[in-house]
Amino acid sequence: MLQVTNKFYIEVGSFQHNKHGNIVCGDSVLMHKSIKENRTIAVLSDGLGSGVKANVLSTMTASMALNFRKRREPITRTAKTIMDTLPVDSIRNISYSTFTIVDVESDGNGKIVEYDNPELILVRDNKIIKLPAENLIIQSKLSSTNSDTRTIKLSNILLQKEDRLVFFSDGVTQSGIGNRNMPFGWGDGVNEFILETVKEKIDISARELSRKIVKQADLNDILRPKDDTSCVVFYVREPRRLLICTGPPFTETKDKYLAEIIRDYKGKKIVCGGTTSKIVSRELGLEIIIDLNDVIAGLPPSSKMEGIDLVTEGIITLGSLASILEEDFPKNLDQKGPHWDMYRMILDADIIDIVAGTKINIAHQDPSLPVELEIRRNVVKKLASLLEEKYMKTVKLKFI
Amino acid sequence: MLNIRICVGTYCYITGGSDLIKIKDRLPEEIKDKVVFVGSACLGCDDEKETSKPPYAKVGDVLITECTEDKLLNEIYSQLGIER
Repeated sequence: MLQVTNKFYIEVGSFQHNKHGNIVCGDSVLMHKSIKENRTIAVLSDGLGSGVKANVLSTMTASMALNFRKRREPITRTAKTIMDTLPVDSIRNISYSTFTIVDVESDGNGKIVEYDNPELILVRDNKIIKLPAENLIIQSKLSSTNSDTRTIKLSNILLQKEDRLVFFSDGVTQSGIGNRNMPFGWGDGVNEFILETVKEKIDISARELSRKIVKQADLNDILRPKDDTSCVVFYVREPRRLLICTGPPFTETKDKYLAEIIRDYKGKKIVCGGTTSKIVSRELGLEIIIDLNDVIAGLPPSSKMEGIDLVTEGIITLGSLASILEEDFPKNLDQKGPHWDMYRMILDADIIDIVAGTKINIAHQDPSLPVELEIRRNVVKKLASLLEEKYMKTVKLKFI
Repeated sequence: MLNIRICVGTYCYITGGSDLIKIKDRLPEEIKDKVVFVGSACLGCDDEKETSKPPYAKVGDVLITECTEDKLLNEIYSQLGIER
């Protein structure tokens, strides 16, 4: 059980910053991970202008592009439909927004479609590799003249392990424009920045790299970005695994089995629950040490056990974790408490194995308790679907 | 040193254990240096749940049920042999 079956893992990370003073982002990033097909799709679109109008345009473009791609519609049809559907800008008199689509299959075969965004970058062996592209010219149906033609770039790629695909909106390349050291903006400087960042930390996650690029673009503009900036990174690598064990097994005869799963697991390990940690402690002969000074955020303190990365209380902590996951992606990742520790470990994992014991703690069902305690099985199911759908993690759920 | 174990399992925590662990910060001077507070994942009182109620704490080897600050301090004082 819990064997590695996924040889090829793709982590997708993205980060965005709004143009200074805007409350919405004019760029849109949408991602989709199909578990059945083992396929990952991400779309980045930059709407014309900025603010709400740009946001509407880019959201429309990105969702159309993503849905067409999911159904494997031909690129020409996708691009044409987008052009014909977008409303015509009242000032500029064109219907326009850019897009980049990246669609990677389980075998590493990737299809890339680019329209007017800065060129996508492939980083392989710490070098930037240019992708051979084929141009496709598309004409809008609605246009009365022949002048409204668009050139779309198509490229195919076979990804290898440790490859990174980086793409961003022009807010990144044009950041810092007018500064003395970059009068025409960051431009190709971003390529060197990426290479240096990867060189510095060879296993930097997609999430972290995209964040660093956008933050640097932000700095180039002295923290007042002149345009919306977005960046998406694909990182192909050995999957990072995380095991979350919570709840005592339905029958006590399985206690040993649970402890063995934890002992033999290759990856990070979290044990949630007082009784569960007691079982692990008993079966593996490990001592639990609770730090009573670590009482933060109204949650029971976490404890330490040798060989286990995190030991926490069960249902309250899992409930708090679920509410973090339900929120909009939190920007401040440095918050304290066992639920935040768990959240950070989850962000860094690709494959999450959840082993949930289904024994019901009858005491928890007492209606006179001051706090409502959910049934573990329900909380775990909720966590699993949030991690899969919203956080694009591969989740393997097992009830024992 | 007298060992005091406070249960911070879910059941005990929500029925008052969260307050019990804060007692360590406001211990009276005369016993401050004579006790050690430690947490416990679960003291394993489930078997007795028919007859007793949480939160649980242990002073030395003595189990205290429905523990309150008062009950806990009383037990500590009596085990230390100090008049309260």
